[in-house]
Amino acid sequence: MAANLLSYQGINISEAMAFGIGGGLFFGYLPFIRINGMPLVTYRAAPGHILRQIASIPGVRMHQKKFRRQDEAMAELDRALASSMPVGLQTGVFWLPYFPKALRFHFNAHNLVVYGKVGNEYLISDPVFPQPVRCPAEDLARARFASGALAPKGKMYYFDQLPARLERGPLILRGIQTVCRMMLGSPFPLIGVRGIRFLAKRLGKWPQRLGRESADLHLGHVVRMQEEIGTGGGGFRFMYAAFLQESAEIMQESLLRDCSASLTTAGDTWREFAAMAARVCKGRARPDDTYSAMAGCIDRCADLEKKVFTELQQWVKGRS
Amino acid sequence: MDPLQQELLELICTTCNLDDVDLDKIGPDDPLIGPESPLGTDSLDALEIAVTVQKEYGVRMDSENTSRVVLQSLATLAAYIRDNS
Repeated sequence: MAANLLSYQGINISEAMAFGIGGGLFFGYLPFIRINGMPLVTYRAAPGHILRQIASIPGVRMHQKKFRRQDEAMAELDRALASSMPVGLQTGVFWLPYFPKALRFHFNAHNLVVYGKVGNEYLISDPVFPQPVRCPAEDLARARFASGALAPKGKMYYFDQLPARLERGPLILRGIQTVCRMMLGSPFPLIGVRGIRFLAKRLGKWPQRLGRESADLHLGHVVRMQEEIGTGGGGFRFMYAAFLQESAEIMQESLLRDCSASLTTAGDTWREFAAMAARVCKGRARPDDTYSAMAGCIDRCADLEKKVFTELQQWVKGRS
Repeated sequence: MDPLQQELLELICTTCNLDDVDLDKIGPDDPLIGPESPLGTDSLDALEIAVTVQKEYGVRMDSENTSRVVLQSLATLAAYIRDNS
């Protein structure tokens, strides 16, 4: 999202770099926010956080607005597009007709970029689709005002001021520092590495606490949150690893390359857990696919991530 | 269907326990995942296919968007493996 918005305005930046300098990696197990009646598990910071972090870079200014009325929200979108400004929108996936029916469900924190309008249709760059897509105005308006948890309330945003170029070094350091603080230093037991361990502990007890059927439902939900809807556990670990790899070249720092490799291993371990969970949910579990084995897998992710972020934290301290 | 595509089809059927699929009726460009797929596979199957492909061919699909593109059909999956292994 952020990379898309920046690139449209002439700042070439990879998605991984925007994700990294925006402090995008995160883990949160948030049972008090319900998605389809199940606790929210998120593996990345909210897009708003990444954009705010980028907007706080000297020389960058972001315009952001929410609305009460659909007509006002759509008129403001049209005004921005008329001045050739690509616009980020928060939407509800369920109302976007270009999503296959199988992928449409009530998730309201889906972000996309609108970059034009032809007739009654908006031209959209959606991170889920490799090609640009189109959406009729009335559907987009509905998606912008979807109700329920994380309701977007017409939220739109764009960068209205940017420097000629971004000096990557200090931004890389700041981005890593932000993620280390989230992953290691949060006082809340549901956040960061502590949150990963909390999920492992909870998940290991689900069959006893909830009964087998409900445990499998919860498991399916965690996996879908992990791999499907832009909260992807493995995927975002791989993206952050790509950011560290790119940063290793810029900063000429081999430790970042090593951390990138370790985080890729963490991503693979998240995927290993997800594959095991998928087999359980689909009723083709192997003898070793047990809830305690899955909890063990998540604990290994916590170990790997703790090691990576402790090393990164020490590296940042040494540079400042 | 080329030999790699055939091999992948068999691997997918084994991985996802698809015993009742008539392999001769599956084409290289048929959708692999989703309601239009003749295999009847869904996103949880897709995840398992991605992990199995990584184990068997050493090729990682490293973001959900890549998986969506790569797992469109046997032809796209085979091409991705050829290009990245």
